[in-house]
Amino acid sequence: MREDLLWVEKYRPKKIADVIGNEEAKAAFVDWLKNKRHTKKAVLLYGPPGVGKTTLVNAAANEFSLRVIEMNASDTRSEKAINAVAKPATSFVALDTFSTESKGNILFMDEVDGIAGNEDRGGVSAIVKIVEESRVPVIMAANDPELAKLRPLKKISTLIRFQQVRIPLIIAMLQKICQKEHIKAEFEALERIAQNSRGDVRSAINDLQSLGETTKTLTLQDTMMLSARNKDISMDETLRGYFSAKSLAEASALLSRSSVDYDDLMMAVADNLPLRYTDPARLAEAYDFLSQADMYRGRIGTENWHLLKYYYNSLAEAAAVQPESYKPFTFISPPIKIITLFWTKGKRTMLDSICAKIGKQCHVSRKTAKEDFIPFLKIMIAKQKATPALAWLELAPEEIDFLAKMNKF
Amino acid sequence: MAVDEEAVMWVEKYRPKKLDEVVDLKDIVDSLKAFMRNPKTMPHLLLAGIPGTGKTTVALCIARELFGQNWKTFTLELNASDERGIDTVRDRIKDFSRYSRAAFGNVPFALVILDESDQMTGPAQTALRRIMETSSRTCRFILICNYSGKIIEPIQSRCALFRFSKLDRKAMIEHLHFIAKKEKVTLAPEAAERIVDYAEGDLRHAINALQTASAYKEGVVDEKTVSQVIGEASPVQVQVMIRKALYGDYVEARKLMYELIGSYGFSGSEIVRQMQRQLFNISSLTPEQKADLSNIIGEYDYRLTQGANSDVQLSALLAQFSKVGKAKGESC
Repeated sequence: MREDLLWVEKYRPKKIADVIGNEEAKAAFVDWLKNKRHTKKAVLLYGPPGVGKTTLVNAAANEFSLRVIEMNASDTRSEKAINAVAKPATSFVALDTFSTESKGNILFMDEVDGIAGNEDRGGVSAIVKIVEESRVPVIMAANDPELAKLRPLKKISTLIRFQQVRIPLIIAMLQKICQKEHIKAEFEALERIAQNSRGDVRSAINDLQSLGETTKTLTLQDTMMLSARNKDISMDETLRGYFSAKSLAEASALLSRSSVDYDDLMMAVADNLPLRYTDPARLAEAYDFLSQADMYRGRIGTENWHLLKYYYNSLAEAAAVQPESYKPFTFISPPIKIITLFWTKGKRTMLDSICAKIGKQCHVSRKTAKEDFIPFLKIMIAKQKATPALAWLELAPEEIDFLAKMNKF
Repeated sequence: MAVDEEAVMWVEKYRPKKLDEVVDLKDIVDSLKAFMRNPKTMPHLLLAGIPGTGKTTVALCIARELFGQNWKTFTLELNASDERGIDTVRDRIKDFSRYSRAAFGNVPFALVILDESDQMTGPAQTALRRIMETSSRTCRFILICNYSGKIIEPIQSRCALFRFSKLDRKAMIEHLHFIAKKEKVTLAPEAAERIVDYAEGDLRHAINALQTASAYKEGVVDEKTVSQVIGEASPVQVQVMIRKALYGDYVEARKLMYELIGSYGFSGSEIVRQMQRQLFNISSLTPEQKADLSNIIGEYDYRLTQGANSDVQLSALLAQFSKVGKAKGESC
């Protein structure tokens, strides 16, 4: 096997059984492929990217010795182009069967939702026609089956839905790859890669390769840059539109269109405002609007959703403080808060456990222990006079070590 | 005064065991002692006052005087700041109060000490009120809080309220000298004064400072060491954060804010409170500017209670500091 291969190719399953997840969809597809009396000649596999649609088609073809004639988004798919490729494949079935081991052809049109309006003129109707005339099975794959232009294809196809692959399955697969690539990976690191992929196996493998190829050990720390790489496109777009808005009306119109979660949006705006406004007075003004938006958020709670419009309005005002000063900048994402809380969790847990022990012996809350005892204890430790106190508080060696090394607050 | 020889932290070692030993609370102690003579007459108690004035100590003394050595068997001690949810009230208090131990001597009830009870959520307080009612035959509650106003009316009306005010300077100084003598430490009078100034009526704080100061030099605590301790123990990060914001480095200031939240687990309101305290230690601000900023802090302290995301409010507050800092820079 070539070493410079992309791992997604190198480890692409050759058998149906090796394709992970989506068991129901797999069964439905195999059933469709085996069943000669198809009610419908075409099948449309749909679902998010990287969950195994293309892989399944290729694995099935391999297993049933079918020859795949494939067209994907990188090919032009105007009526003429489709006919040029597909017509021969779908009509002259017999020729091939003699010359190769193949038991037949299948036509695979990947990424049919990528058929564009102008360049691929007549593409969809050409496919419909081919399906009607075809003597071989026609398989199509798409991410978003709801697109209006695909409606004619849906009518003539059996629909099979693919879902995100579950995280544990992805982790198990990443573990296998690590084993074969001789990478020693922390479970937490693989878990984070898998979670970060949101069920997209391809991106998980790509991430693993980009992290693992240079190092032979993979720690959680190594995966930190991941989420920064996989930016949420709709969040990015929303922020771009939001910060570049020329007026309050434009900003609020954009917010009402965006599908980004409003709490996520609030955090992203809070992180990015300092990049947007460099003048402290403007920055303060913008944050003041954000603060008001947050108060509306607080009042909304879980039921007063009619207040959401005021929330959006205040949020929009934060963007429209000084429209003329806008210059494009690179957004901070993911949220600083999430990253900080993630990396400091160990510290907080340790400190909390120390404070609980102090609280128990000295009849105070953990909060009081933290504010009224920790600073003094740290000095006593520094003066090497703390040993009896630390023993009396029943602190473990690692807790004492932590206290000694902790920066004072 | 009896000393707990096992305890190493002086705040525990010299915590009074009997009501008579409690520092500077004669009026409160006298009324409580009447209850001790005839425990059946003791109502639920609500002890309110600023930190370090002896509320928890008084509650523990009551437990000891009622139940003697085995007080722990008959007392449930909870801190609402640690376990503030309604579940704690439901589970632990309810179980304890309902299946309360058989009467001890002439004390026909068990005791629940609920420290920092003003930290309880509204629903938890409502649940508590009901439990106080149903268990009144088997259980007495001592609720401790900083602000009695944060306790719902129905609970207040079920309790005898005792207000603890700031401890008397003289009494605090005497107590520090008493501890110093027991510990064979020479405490300079100016040093004691300095500690008491610093502690602002919080005896726990004062004793902790004294013990820490005694770690500097063998057997001597003078004013210089006390100053050192105060400098060392006072929070620096918040001050650094304020300075960064004032001097134009907003992004760094915000980073420090997240350091405080992340690494040390401080809540939004704790940070705001510390900002309020530290503001007055920043010498480069005029009194007028301090007053303005203090007002702004007050506004955002309120907004914190209204909002959903404390980081947003803190970020906005720091931006206000940057704005004031810039205006200041331009004016001079």
